[in-house]
Amino acid sequence: MSQNSMRVMRAKDMRKTTFYQRLGAILGKTGVYAFLILVALIVLFPFYWMILSSLKSLYEYKLSKPTFWPQQVLLSNYTEAFTAANLGKLFLNTAYVGIVSTLLSLFITIITAFAFARLQFKGKELLFAALLGTMMIPGELFTITNYMTVSYLGWMNTFTALIVPFLVSVFYIYLLRQNFLQIPNELYLAAKVDGTSDWKYLWKVMVPLALPTLISITILKMMGAWNSYIWPRLVANDEAHRLVTNGLRDAFTDISGDTNYPVQMAAVALVSAPLFLVFVFLRKYIMAGVSRSGIKG
Amino acid sequence: MKIVLQNLTKIFPSRNKKSDEEVVAVNNFNFEIPDGKLIGLLGPSGCGKSTTLYMISGLQKPSSGKIFFGNDDVTELSTENRGIGLVFQNYALYPHLTVKQNILFPLQNLKGKDKLDKNTMLDRAYEAAKLVQIEQLLDRKPSELSGGQQQRVAIARALVKMPRVLLLDEPLSNLDARLRLQTREEIRRIQKETGITTVFVTHDQEEAMSISDMIVVMKTGVVQQIGKPQDVYDDPANLFVAKFLGTPPINVFSGHVKGGTLFIGGDAVMDIQTVADQEVVVGIRPEGFVLDENGPLKCKPSNVEVMGRDVSIVSTHDASLNPLVRSIVNADNKINISSEYVRYAVKPHKIFIFNKETEERIYFEVK
Amino acid sequence: MVESKQQWKAWLYLAPAIVLLLIFTVWPIINTIHMAFLENYNGLKAAGGATFNFGFANFQKVVSYRRFTQCMQNTMLLCVITVPISSILALLIAVALHSIKRFQKVLQTIFFLPYVTNSIAIGMVFAAMFNIVGSFLGMESEILVTPGIVNNIIEFFGGTKVNWINYGSTYTANLFVMAVYIIWNALPFKILILLGGLASINKQYYEAAKVDSTPHWRVLTRITVPLLSPMLAYVIITGFIAGFKEYTSIVGIFGESMGPANDAGRLNTMVGFIYDSLANNNQGRASAAALILFGVILVVTLINLWVSKKRVHY
Repeated sequence: MSQNSMRVMRAKDMRKTTFYQRLGAILGKTGVYAFLILVALIVLFPFYWMILSSLKSLYEYKLSKPTFWPQQVLLSNYTEAFTAANLGKLFLNTAYVGIVSTLLSLFITIITAFAFARLQFKGKELLFAALLGTMMIPGELFTITNYMTVSYLGWMNTFTALIVPFLVSVFYIYLLRQNFLQIPNELYLAAKVDGTSDWKYLWKVMVPLALPTLISITILKMMGAWNSYIWPRLVANDEAHRLVTNGLRDAFTDISGDTNYPVQMAAVALVSAPLFLVFVFLRKYIMAGVSRSGIKG
Repeated sequence: MKIVLQNLTKIFPSRNKKSDEEVVAVNNFNFEIPDGKLIGLLGPSGCGKSTTLYMISGLQKPSSGKIFFGNDDVTELSTENRGIGLVFQNYALYPHLTVKQNILFPLQNLKGKDKLDKNTMLDRAYEAAKLVQIEQLLDRKPSELSGGQQQRVAIARALVKMPRVLLLDEPLSNLDARLRLQTREEIRRIQKETGITTVFVTHDQEEAMSISDMIVVMKTGVVQQIGKPQDVYDDPANLFVAKFLGTPPINVFSGHVKGGTLFIGGDAVMDIQTVADQEVVVGIRPEGFVLDENGPLKCKPSNVEVMGRDVSIVSTHDASLNPLVRSIVNADNKINISSEYVRYAVKPHKIFIFNKETEERIYFEVK
Repeated sequence: MVESKQQWKAWLYLAPAIVLLLIFTVWPIINTIHMAFLENYNGLKAAGGATFNFGFANFQKVVSYRRFTQCMQNTMLLCVITVPISSILALLIAVALHSIKRFQKVLQTIFFLPYVTNSIAIGMVFAAMFNIVGSFLGMESEILVTPGIVNNIIEFFGGTKVNWINYGSTYTANLFVMAVYIIWNALPFKILILLGGLASINKQYYEAAKVDSTPHWRVLTRITVPLLSPMLAYVIITGFIAGFKEYTSIVGIFGESMGPANDAGRLNTMVGFIYDSLANNNQGRASAAALILFGVILVVTLINLWVSKKRVHY
């Protein structure tokens, strides 16, 4: 076959495949979008249902034929929820525990990660390996003894019991240490030449450079406080120290009784709202933190 | 400020725990660096030049020996108290701070009686920036600067606290060829202007030769030779130094001395009376060859590279220890590559002979 | 690194963490193991000065306990159902997301939403969606009864409504609701990780496949999945670990009773068992159960690692 006819053949071939390819691509793309949108709707539906239900009257909620838009928007459900579940006090308690434990935890994480990343001492590698080893053990194993320790220390029903036992997170130390190690050693030497102390170098150079990681840790830690349930229920479930998740569950604990469901949904929406706000504004940091952690809260 | 290194030695413990082998990074270094000079520490990687620099800076402590700045013994003094400025190979600028904040950083660390007020600090920072000509870049972040500009910022940061000694670690290695030429002139100019005793480390002999007042050639922790660049080039102490300096590199042949005559292979190159009969290594600088129809050294030509003013003749010789023999001659010469031999006479001061075992220089007198 | 003989400084930096870890991590490990082997250890009795024999009675009691086997079964079932389904679903979603350009960011954000939720709170929403208000066995004509939106949808498509979580509901129906909720909750993390993995696959493999005109399905099974296998292994292993610690999502839907009103505790899990024992001051039994949980997680993780060592292409 001559070169010329080969070329003609090929051009024909190509025209044919492009037509089928284009058709296939359009069908394929449509299928992909249909699938994704369907899943997205399923994912979103509970949120829609939560907000919708929270705006209905109890009567409308109970209609055997559901309505998908409230006949009458009942914002009073929210005020009722706020008082019924004592959400104000719960929010304050949770915010207090969240902020204090995050600040202290950040401080400890920073200085510990710095020691592991930059300072020299005997047994460093061994100690770090031992720390990582504790990550394998399920938290329940610690909880049993910690519960006894906390009660022995007389911390039952105090904020201290909610804050102190979880200040050290091996995982966050690991995360930050990795980040610190990426900072070139020359910066440290340069700071030494400039007469900077270890302490000043840590806070003036390393901490600003590791800021994204620190923000991720802060958000995850705050979310942890907001979502914690088991430990607070064990050690501080009195009126004065109750956290938001426990308060929410306790306020609407009966699912078969004559609960006011719209009010319950309003309370759920109120509890979820801060998380959504954080998500909207700090999505980047949360996703970055999560993709490296895999630990919820 | 003169710097005196006295029996300076640095031994690193073995990394391999099983063997007790220690690494002697710097071995018994003695040198007095005169005040206000620019000194190049030169050698291949692993020769101990950076370790020496780091010991002068105080970032590493010598295993033994002493370091003096002027008459002060600074051996036990920590880095920040030595009054040095150090420019790192990768500049080590703080990436989250602007150029101005970077330059101010060392000043903000001063304590006690050295503490400066804000305006003085700013004045000093501007002065340093002006010296390295980056006044217009003060509000930028390091990531927005070119390599050459980052280098200048790093120098400004090192100079701003008016150090007694300025140390530069491979200052040009991260720059492209054109910037490298420009920046080395710049370093020379800044050093001249400030008069600060400056030590820099490089593996590039051309770089060291071109700007240093003196060079120190090192190999595996041992100082090979110290001197003015031209002196070291013209009068190498051993084969290593001869090979390390010069582009194109020196041509090396195996040869022998017999009855007062130096032979390269079968070619009797020169009469040297004072040397006893022995096997030797012969080094000839590329510019040491002279085209001569009756010259003693016969090489097989393979190629001619025209370099403008000069031409470089590439040839081979059976006794050559390199694959090729390279000579540089004036472009006026007519060279016929197709001829069987190109014949050279050799300039006596461009030929060096070395002991075959010790590779030390064997000095001779030409009759 | 700068040479420094001031090691004590490093220990100063480490001191707070070490003190806290000694009290709240190291001591618990020692003490919990110790308690697990003290027969019938009880916190109250111990405070009263009672002593306990050393032995395996706690483990024997736990294993022979009917409620524990029920907890074990629930945990295992939920793991076995939810981990494969959520992993495959997440893989499909991630691949689909990766293949599009328009709306990718928006959809990605939507899929991540369930992650930033309170599992108790949204559990209550799911409960509301499956919940039948009023009497299930009541009159059809009764106005103030809703079978829940899920049943509404089922009826819309011609099915019959199911008693999912209320009084008299079946174990299967309960498990189904739990599985749906757990999968919904587990998807975001898995999608995020797999999407990150997809982004790091060299595009040249796909271009090469295109040149060879490889069909889409083959590209997925022969290129994407093998190259993604480290991430898939990670997602599956962490999925199992999280699955074995399932507890709060069940509290979210069923409340503290951990089951429908007529059969409280029916859906209890291993973690739930540990806390129940703890609440009864049965620290010995709780410790034994915690060690068993640790052992199970360890074994399953090792099996996972062993399988993935054979299957994962690094």
